[in-house]
Amino acid sequence: MFELFISNPLVLMMIEVLVICIKVVVVTLVVFSLPLPLTYIERKVAGHIQVRLGPYRVGPHGILQPLADMIKLIFKEDIIPYKADPWLFKIAPIIAMVPAFAVFATIPFGEKVTIPFIDKEVTLYISDMDTGILYVLAIAGLSVYGIILGGWASNSKYALLGGLRSSAQMISYELALSFACIGVVMVVNSLSLVDIVRAQSGWHWNILYQPLGFVIFAIAGLAEINRIPFDLPEDEGTLGAGYHAEYSSMRFAFFMLTEYVAMVSMSVLMVILFFGGWDGPGFLPGIVWFLIKVAFIIYVIIWTRFTYPRYRYDQLMTIGWKILLPLSLLNILITGLVVI
Amino acid sequence: MNGNHYNLNLKDILKKVFFVDLIQGLFITFNYTFSKTITLRYPDEEKWIPYRRFRGLHTLNRNKEGKELCVGCELCQKSCPTQCITVVPMQDKTGKGIADRIAYRWEINLLRCMFCGLCEDACPTEALKLGREYELANTSMQRSLWTKEELLAAQEIPVEFDGGVIVRARLERDDKGLKVIPDMSVQKRWW
Ligand code: SF4
Ligand code: SF4
Repeated sequence: MFELFISNPLVLMMIEVLVICIKVVVVTLVVFSLPLPLTYIERKVAGHIQVRLGPYRVGPHGILQPLADMIKLIFKEDIIPYKADPWLFKIAPIIAMVPAFAVFATIPFGEKVTIPFIDKEVTLYISDMDTGILYVLAIAGLSVYGIILGGWASNSKYALLGGLRSSAQMISYELALSFACIGVVMVVNSLSLVDIVRAQSGWHWNILYQPLGFVIFAIAGLAEINRIPFDLPEDEGTLGAGYHAEYSSMRFAFFMLTEYVAMVSMSVLMVILFFGGWDGPGFLPGIVWFLIKVAFIIYVIIWTRFTYPRYRYDQLMTIGWKILLPLSLLNILITGLVVI
Repeated sequence: MNGNHYNLNLKDILKKVFFVDLIQGLFITFNYTFSKTITLRYPDEEKWIPYRRFRGLHTLNRNKEGKELCVGCELCQKSCPTQCITVVPMQDKTGKGIADRIAYRWEINLLRCMFCGLCEDACPTEALKLGREYELANTSMQRSLWTKEELLAAQEIPVEFDGGVIVRARLERDDKGLKVIPDMSVQKRWW
């Protein structure tokens, strides 16, 4: 009876839809809650690098600090500046946030796994697009609209300058970033993220074949997610807080969330493109290797934040246009020559 | 070295290309990540015990027989620049006259005291000493008026104790306010 029920095509389709829905919900929830531990880790790492302790008083070793911060943010007054464009002002954080989440639709976290009891094979990604990497780059670039609109709608000089800087930075570095990805695509011969990972299995990690591409990707990626040394859109020293200077309460939290999610997605992308995704020694399941690698890269990003000073704006542009862009073109050229 | 920034030699160029300085910087911060912190975990876990020269809450001392050293001479009251000490002298009941003069009332208003230590210097019998108690915040103004009986009580940190160390402590809350109770047995030097 059960066999008959389970082989019914309609039921099969229903199960497929259900599985996808569950995957979407799980990924969204996980990504949504990731910034909580990340803020804690960031503050702890910052503290220890500066020979302090970081958050320490809320819960043992300050472990509940992110929750306290969240409660504080929720209960803060949501201020919309007088003369700001209220509609844009309200919608900008959402515009910034949605693409950051949408990126995760094509991110593969591992190979197929079989769920016990119902004996069903489930892929550890929501969808495997043929042009996954293009999708990721395009969607990730959309986030900057939220930042620009937020800066514009605030009707404040600092916020506007932050937004402008963000857009200029995004344009300059998106090019180098995409060109660095092209090197990988040429080696692997596919645009699908799953294929890219599969091609690297057995220690054929792309970082060995594309060292220059990796360096360009890492630098441009840091600029892309507005982290130090490229966090000019929110440069405290010169712009107050940059594009979110006028934001408070949950809208500010949305911007923060976007930044952390962008950091996670950039680390994930780096692992997929250059560190072999879930490839690793067999004694741990692939997804664990994947998470270890992502965690390590996130740690390195945080670590650099508290090591380096910020570049000046003209230096940022010089690095982007005069160094990274020619280098990435050179990388494509070399890759092309070698591959052919 | 001649101030010309464009005159880079090969070593400098290689250093730039391979991010040598940046990587060195990363190693420095990495070492600091695992170095000992300098944060004093006051008041939850640690407390600073000051040196003897510290000027904290006043104490009134007794001699070896347990008799109060204060003779009620009022010099401390006279010398205090903020006039926060009130001394009312009296004779005790032994009938020995002025020789046994003691203070009938000895009060200090800590809200006005600035811990300058002039009263301590003025005291001819070394009865008055500024101690090492420094947690004087409380929830009521009335609590800042300290009387003779309270000041005569033994201080938490014994006089023999050298100070200048961090000891383990624990924070206690009651209706009077917060109190950090030190545990002298576990000590460490700062840094
Ligand atoms: S320390 Fe100074 S201000 Fe305080 S009671 Fe003594 S003399 Fe007065
Ligand atoms: S504390 Fe010293 S100065 Fe003050 S009244 Fe007593 S003996 Fe005199």
